[in-house]
Parts: sequence; structure tokens; C-alpha cells
Amino acid sequence: MSWTEVQNLGVKAASGAGVPPAQALAFGAMLARHVADDGPQGAVTAALSEPERIVGLAHKVETIVEAASISSKPVLAKEEDAGTRAMLVSWIAGLPCKSDLEVAGAKLRINLSLTEPSTRGRPERLHLEPSLAALMTELAAKTYVPDSAASRSGGAGAGLMELD
Amino acid sequence: MKDHALPHVPLRPPETVLRLARMAQMMPTRLSFLRVLVRRLCAEHATITRPVWDMSPEGFGRAVYSIALGGNTYSLVAISNDLPADHRSDRVIATAWDAAFVLFDGVPGPDDLDRIAAQAPKQEAGRFGPRDLVLSRANKSVRMWEATVAALKAGHQPDPDMIRDIGYLMRTTAVYGNGKFGIADRHLIADRPGLEGPFAAEMLTVYLIRHFTLDLVQFVGGAPLAPTLARHLGIGNATGLGMAPFLVNHPVLLHNWMHTRETALARVLGRSMMTDAQVTRLQGLAHRALAHLADWHVPAADHDATLRKLEADWLAFLPNFDAPTSFAALWQAGQMQTGALQELLAALLIEACPEDVDDLAADMGDPFGPLVTPFPDTDAVRSAIDRDWAWALDCDYDAADHCRRFWYVSAAKLEPRLGDRFAEPGAELETPLDTARRVAPLYAALPTRPQPVSEFTAAHPEHAHAIARVALLNRYPYAEIRDNLIAATCRPIDMLRCKLSFFGATKFDPKSDLWTRVTLAQGAPLGHELRPEMDDWWLPVMER
Repeated sequence: MSWTEVQNLGVKAASGAGVPPAQALAFGAMLARHVADDGPQGAVTAALSEPERIVGLAHKVETIVEAASISSKPVLAKEEDAGTRAMLVSWIAGLPCKSDLEVAGAKLRINLSLTEPSTRGRPERLHLEPSLAALMTELAAKTYVPDSAASRSGGAGAGLMELD
Repeated sequence: MKDHALPHVPLRPPETVLRLARMAQMMPTRLSFLRVLVRRLCAEHATITRPVWDMSPEGFGRAVYSIALGGNTYSLVAISNDLPADHRSDRVIATAWDAAFVLFDGVPGPDDLDRIAAQAPKQEAGRFGPRDLVLSRANKSVRMWEATVAALKAGHQPDPDMIRDIGYLMRTTAVYGNGKFGIADRHLIADRPGLEGPFAAEMLTVYLIRHFTLDLVQFVGGAPLAPTLARHLGIGNATGLGMAPFLVNHPVLLHNWMHTRETALARVLGRSMMTDAQVTRLQGLAHRALAHLADWHVPAADHDATLRKLEADWLAFLPNFDAPTSFAALWQAGQMQTGALQELLAALLIEACPEDVDDLAADMGDPFGPLVTPFPDTDAVRSAIDRDWAWALDCDYDAADHCRRFWYVSAAKLEPRLGDRFAEPGAELETPLDTARRVAPLYAALPTRPQPVSEFTAAHPEHAHAIARVALLNRYPYAEIRDNLIAATCRPIDMLRCKLSFFGATKFDPKSDLWTRVTLAQGAPLGHELRPEMDDWWLPVMER
């Protein structure tokens, strides 16, 4: 899959799981980075079954960014759960700004340069595990409004012959 | 963005240029993406070759066109099909088209060609790879196609008036880039010379599709088109709702586009001198604009009336070009005129001063995403809302007409649609384009005593989206449309007009409030004419 496909699927899946828009958007960016960096995809599957966990993770990143904005010193964070920690690393690495991370056990040491762009490369293709892809496709589908004659007739271009 | 010397005059503020009513008047400029791409092709004296042409006499089969740009070669693979008339639809939910296209990275070999020929006609249902850069499809304008073929077969040229009125042989109904359906992500090509600008690969595709349509009609018709007629045949495009959310979902791009255009205008207005050559150029462009408006008619009575008023207003404004004293004086004269006239004037002034503005095209991309510094506390959020969002607070979002619309994605081919909250199901699944409605409750919920924003969002995660949008404007002031996008009065075509003008579209032909047809590359140099002196096709008028 392309980077964009994985990222967009992540946004829709998180939305379908009940995550609010800002956090869903950030989750999509995290997911593409996570898959690109060979992060454990089981952790993502688990998180999607607990949307509050994704919201909590988003909030944790927000506090880290907030801390980085008021001090040039590295931000220290701790996350005991290995899966959540891996996603936290991906979340920070997936930010648009430049970031450096050191992970030692449960502890993270993070340097963020909020006004400098990220220099991390992106691969040509991403491999999403089929089971996770299926779960996310199912969750994403929850954000689509079922088709109906009424919605078709109100949609773009409805009701006009095209033979100009 | 690059650093510039500060312009001598202030930029028009976002509160003026990012209102829907003003966006609905925007005109293409020489900074529009297709203009930038063709200018680059002209500067490189690019040539188009046709390594594959495997077409039936009726024009069904496959073709490949290759072109070098910035040291890389790209190829358009075109698959032309025999489409029954009752299958021809411009909507996303269509499943068959007259022609399908892929812009390929390099020159495709036989295996690539077979793969693309199998996948491209499926469009959204196909799968593509990282060497496939853009996916597109097009339908014939049956009237224009049949009339042109018939004329050429009969040994004469098609009716120039018909070409003027329709303007294209085929129109695209989607041009997909950036990773869709497995095609290459934008980041894989974003630093390629010539493809750095927004939608550059898509514009290259569109230009080559136009070239293909001209080639095909001359092949089927068995005779060449007169160059003046061929040049005035662009490539049509039918655009619906899908393009509108893009402007909301890509706020940094919207900022960069608008800020760049306003910077270009400010640079021109900051000129202290006006040379005789510039006066002559302005006069020529002003008369060309009038001729273009006179040629631009649309079937919808209300839109045509708007055009006729602009034409009349422009005619009355023309004497201002007789002996202008400065660019600023011309602009000042326009300030007593309508918004439509001002937007036309802005585009004209930008057109007249390439040496002031062309370098700005490099600022229109967004290679990084938003680089936003968080607010120090909730009081700073409140101050930012007071400064940038007063327009969003002054609205009762519970009133039916202020929240009647909801944007959503249909399960049918994921077509974006716009619903009536009070008459249709699905509002609970609406896409979050209701930014104004989200900022108002955020403002109301902010604590009276300052607290860290992260403390606030811990208790109110639902406000994180609005806070992010408010924070964006600190660094990207042109990133937000200053209107309520769920109001009953919201017209998606106003957003389409803005985006399509940045693409370089002309002859906007709205078919409803939801979708429009446009023409791209009308007047652009033909494939064998890519030379610097040919880059003069702003608001094209057919040579007679």
C-alpha cells in the first residue's frame, strides 16, 4: 500500500472506532510511520478496540509537545506498556517537526524542534498486515453513509445527461 | 517558504480574500499550476514523442506519449474504449469511461503496458504501483468530437464557434494523484525538477491528455486540425464535491496558495514605475480579458447574468487602462468596483509582471505539513479566537439555516456528498468540515482562569480539533475559509472555483451549486510549440 493509503485508512478507522477528529487525524500519521518503521501492528489492533487509549495517547503526545515548546531541554516520558510505547514512539516520529528519540526500557527521552521540518524518510511501499487492514477497513466503513436514491439525487452532478 | 523582501504594500487580508463570495470570483493567474508547468516545459523546449500507437481506425486502442521534464522522462499511457452512450457519466459513481490514463514514471515496457491496460479502465477498482504517478479518465464531448471528426473527414475544419463554445474534445472526470489506489505517493516525486509544485504531476497528465485528444481526433478524422483551432481546444474537466473538502483538509496548502497570490499582487502594486512597454502590455491584456468574457457563456441563466455583468463592468472600466499612472492607481480605481472585477484585475496585474512574481511559484507547495507551536495556555487560545475567529462566533449554529448542510462520504464508491441535516439520514457521520461551529463552543468552554491547554483537552478532548485549527492561523493566516461551511447558503462551487483557479482552469460552467465544468489548457501551446515565447495564454481568445 502507499503511505497515503495507510495514513488515510488509519484516520477513517480511528474515526469509525469513535475517536474525535483531531486525534483520528494524528492517529493516521502515527500509523503510517509505525508501519514504515516496522512497529508492532498488534498494538494498533488493540488500540482500535479501545478508542479512549488512542485519545489518551494523543493527549500524552500533546503534553510532550507542550513541554517542548516551553523548554529547549529534552522531554522525558514514561510508558510501561510495550505496545503503547511503540505507538508513542511512532506518534512522535510521525509529527511534521524534527524529532529525536531515545528509548531505554519504559523511559523515553525526546527532543523536538517544533519549527523545523521532519527529516525522516518515507518508503515507497508499506505492508499492512491483512488482519489489521481488514479491521481498519471495517471500522472505516462505519464512517460512510449508506447509499440511497435520495442521497444519489442530491449528490454532485445528479440528474443531468452528460452528452454535451 | 522562501524569504522575500517585504512587499511595499500590505497584503489583502484573509478576511477579504477567504470569504466564499470572493473565492467564487477567482481567476487563473500565471501562478496557476498548469501555467507554471507549461512555462517550465516551454523553458526546457520539451518535446513529446509517441512510442506506441495501437489504435483501430475508429480510435480505440492504446497509445503512449513520453516527455522529458527536469531530467526525468514521464509517459502518459492512454487507453481508449468504445463506450456505449448510456454509460457516459461524469459522476464519481460511474464505472466506465471513453478513455483511461496513467502517467508512468519512465517509459513503460510491454509488461507495464499490459498491466496498465488491464487496470486503468477499472479506475478506483484497479490497483496501481509506485511507478504509476497519476490516474485519470475522460469522457468525450460527443457533440464536439463527432462534429470535429465529421468535418475533418469531409475535408474541412470544424466550426470555430463550436470550438469557442465547448472548448474541448474530452473532459476528465477525475485526476488522482498522491498514493490513491496504490499509485506513487507525492513525497516520492516531490523533489523532482519540474514536479516540485502542487499538482504538477497531475497538470502534466492533463496537458498530455489534451495532446492525446488532439492526436486521436486527427487520426480518426484523417486530416490535421488548423493550429489556431487545435490550440483553442483544451481539455475539459467535470469537478464535484470531492474537491471542496480538500481546501479544508489541507490548510497549509490553502495558506501557501492564497498567501503567494496575495504576495504577488502586493509586489506588483509596490512597483513605483510603470514602463511604456508595461502600459502596452496591460492594455493588450485588458482587451483580451474583454474578448474572453465575451466568448464565455454558460447555460445557467444566473451564472450567465453574472458573467454579462462582469463583461459590462469591465468594458466600462477599460478607460482606466488608457493612460495609467501606476499599478497602484489602477488597483485603486478597481476598489470602487465589484469583487468579480477586482479579482479579474488582480489576475491581470499579476500577469503583466512576470519578473516580479514568477519566482513565487516555488512557495506554493507544502512538503512538511503544519509546523505549529502550541498555545502557552487557554488564555492564548481565547486571544487567538478573538483575533481570528470573530466571524465564527457571531452565529447561532442551532438555527436551522446555519447548520442545515452536512458533508459526508457515501458508501457508494466513497463519493463525497452534501446532505440536508433535517431531511436526510447520516448527519451523525458527517465529515468535520464544520470548523466554525466547532470553534464557537470551544470559545464558550474555555476556563475563565488560564490553564495549560493539555489540561483543558484532557477534560475536553472533543475540542482538540478546534484548538488545532485555531493554532494553525497563528502561523498560516490564510489557512481557513472565513465562512460557515454548513450554512444553508454554503455553495460548494465557490470552493471549487477557488481551487480550480489555482489549477489554471477557465470557462467555469457551473451545473448546480455542487459541481462545475471547466476548461484546462485552452490556448496553451501545442505539443510541438513548447517554447518560451508561447507562454502567453492567460484568458485565451481564439485567433481569427
